[in-house]
Amino acid sequence: MTARGLTREGLAGLAAELIGAGIRVVAPARAADGGVDYLEVTRFEECALGAEMPRRSLRSAFQPATEPLFAWNRTGGRLFLTPAEANGPQVVLGARPCDAAGAAILDKVMGWDYRDEFWFARREATTVLTVECAEPGPTCFCEAVGLAPDSDAGSDVLLRDAPGGYRAEAITPKGEAFMEAHARWFGEAPSAASEPARTRQAPLPLDAMRGWLAEHFEDDLWRDVALRCLGCGACTSICPTCHCFDIVDEPEGASAGTRRRNWDTCQAGIFTAHTSGHNPRADQTARCRQRVMHKFLVYPQRFGAVLCTGCGRCARACPAGVLLPEILETIAGRCRQAAPSGDLA
Amino acid sequence: MKELRDLARTLLTDGSVQVVIGWEDGPAGARPAFVTKAEDADRLIFDPRCVHNLAAYLSPRRPHVGRLGKAAVVVKGCDARAVAALLRESQIQREDVVIIGVRCGGVLADPSRRVDLTAENVSERCSGCEAREPGLADHLVGEMPPPPPGERSRETRIEELEAMSAAERSAFWQAEFSRCVRCNACRQVCPLCTCDRCVADKTQPQWIEQSAHERGIFAWQLTRALHHAGRCADCGECARVCPAGIPLGLLNRQAARIVERRFGYRATDDPSIPAPIGAFRSDDGQEFIR
Repeated sequence: MTARGLTREGLAGLAAELIGAGIRVVAPARAADGGVDYLEVTRFEECALGAEMPRRSLRSAFQPATEPLFAWNRTGGRLFLTPAEANGPQVVLGARPCDAAGAAILDKVMGWDYRDEFWFARREATTVLTVECAEPGPTCFCEAVGLAPDSDAGSDVLLRDAPGGYRAEAITPKGEAFMEAHARWFGEAPSAASEPARTRQAPLPLDAMRGWLAEHFEDDLWRDVALRCLGCGACTSICPTCHCFDIVDEPEGASAGTRRRNWDTCQAGIFTAHTSGHNPRADQTARCRQRVMHKFLVYPQRFGAVLCTGCGRCARACPAGVLLPEILETIAGRCRQAAPSGDLA
Repeated sequence: MKELRDLARTLLTDGSVQVVIGWEDGPAGARPAFVTKAEDADRLIFDPRCVHNLAAYLSPRRPHVGRLGKAAVVVKGCDARAVAALLRESQIQREDVVIIGVRCGGVLADPSRRVDLTAENVSERCSGCEAREPGLADHLVGEMPPPPPGERSRETRIEELEAMSAAERSAFWQAEFSRCVRCNACRQVCPLCTCDRCVADKTQPQWIEQSAHERGIFAWQLTRALHHAGRCADCGECARVCPAGIPLGLLNRQAARIVERRFGYRATDDPSIPAPIGAFRSDDGQEFIR
């Protein structure tokens, strides 16, 4: 693994070089209303590195809220299909470790029963430069789900805090190549990065919790959790690991149109509504349970990783105080009660 | 607080209701609470962190709450307007709910922090509030606190918007709406979005494109604003929930001002006064409808 030094001035120069070369640079930046989002920046000065956590995750860099799949046009009795434009190169400057990790977790499902060409086209065209998290927020719980403020999962280059700038560590061959290609901005590696931040949560007994969930599809917990849930789905639209989508055809006139893929949410009734009128997830109790089951039972069973990076955004975004960390802690508590002490990881 | 808790305890003990929907102190601030046992009545709180409009839980769209039985709901003055709208539109019946009104001195925009109310942290709709004591209530509790701090800054912002040219105003909303991801959270939390099937979810025919591109966003946001013009209780929940920080309250409020100018109607907690969108008047100002 290559480690180099990158001063703040060097980072500014690197960003300017990338933007100048026509590469799409996405970074935490202030939106018009003052909130921080991951946005495409046109000047390094727009980057808000070290500001509060972006409101929404990095998901949109790999799966935008809406994306065209293809366009159709019927002319003279013939149907013409035009594929969506290919994605150019993209660099994420200043991803949060929890957001970078989210993309890596999603690679598993996106490459599972078929290879999602749109997802992987963006993943492959993107180099992720992650900045170690200096100050975890009040609802952060990454360490409870096995990550940390300095996790390198999903990152190509990890920038660790160092005097005057960063210690840049190449995590993947892509990151290695990136640092090589832009070598003039990188200097001697600082000898030691400062002590990484910690959130100080005990790891959750995720294996035992999976067992509990498998046996408690019916449980009063779901009713109690769901009572206050308004079904707004805000938790799913800011999540780094939620990835469900809907596909719609949008006509433009009588003979042309575009097929698009849009974010969807399991918290909406229509998500599972059948054309017959039947809905297997008839109310919010079923939908809240689904969110926890998918993230902490189904996904780990199939892919060996929980579908959560502990970014804590859902707890902040919920208008009704439904707190995933609290739900997880409740389930963990029941597991601890059920198991002899010391048996839980 | 004692008055509120005592009342809740009595209502649950004598069987008047099976659940009291109020607020509690959660791990990350105040949040909605559903008290079903008299011995849990002491969980209930009311303080400036209680920003949530609990009328949303009365909606027939939430059968998981309805299954608890007859409810008493704690409302601030603004929330009472939403209960009145549900009654006015026959979404709930008056005898099906016990309304506990609390006198309010304004609420915080962010319910997670226990701090004194200031002009900076007060919810933007509170400044200049004229409904600090709910008129629609079976029980009224609490002393009247001092009025909320701050200027009517939102009204000033709306006046600025109204003074803009149509093109400038369009550009303003275009910039704000550009962050919309069409998550529909604004609709879901709205106590007055009670449709079984929202026009935005229909695909055959597709009245509103579902994609988060400019056409789809404008079609949705303008439809939402128009469907709420003169109905909106101005509880601010849509703006509070928006994960993109779009100031939907401004849009709602501007529509309400237009309705007031054109129809002489202001959202009220008196359910017997019909709202223009659901009323027919032979002296209507619009010729096409007479």
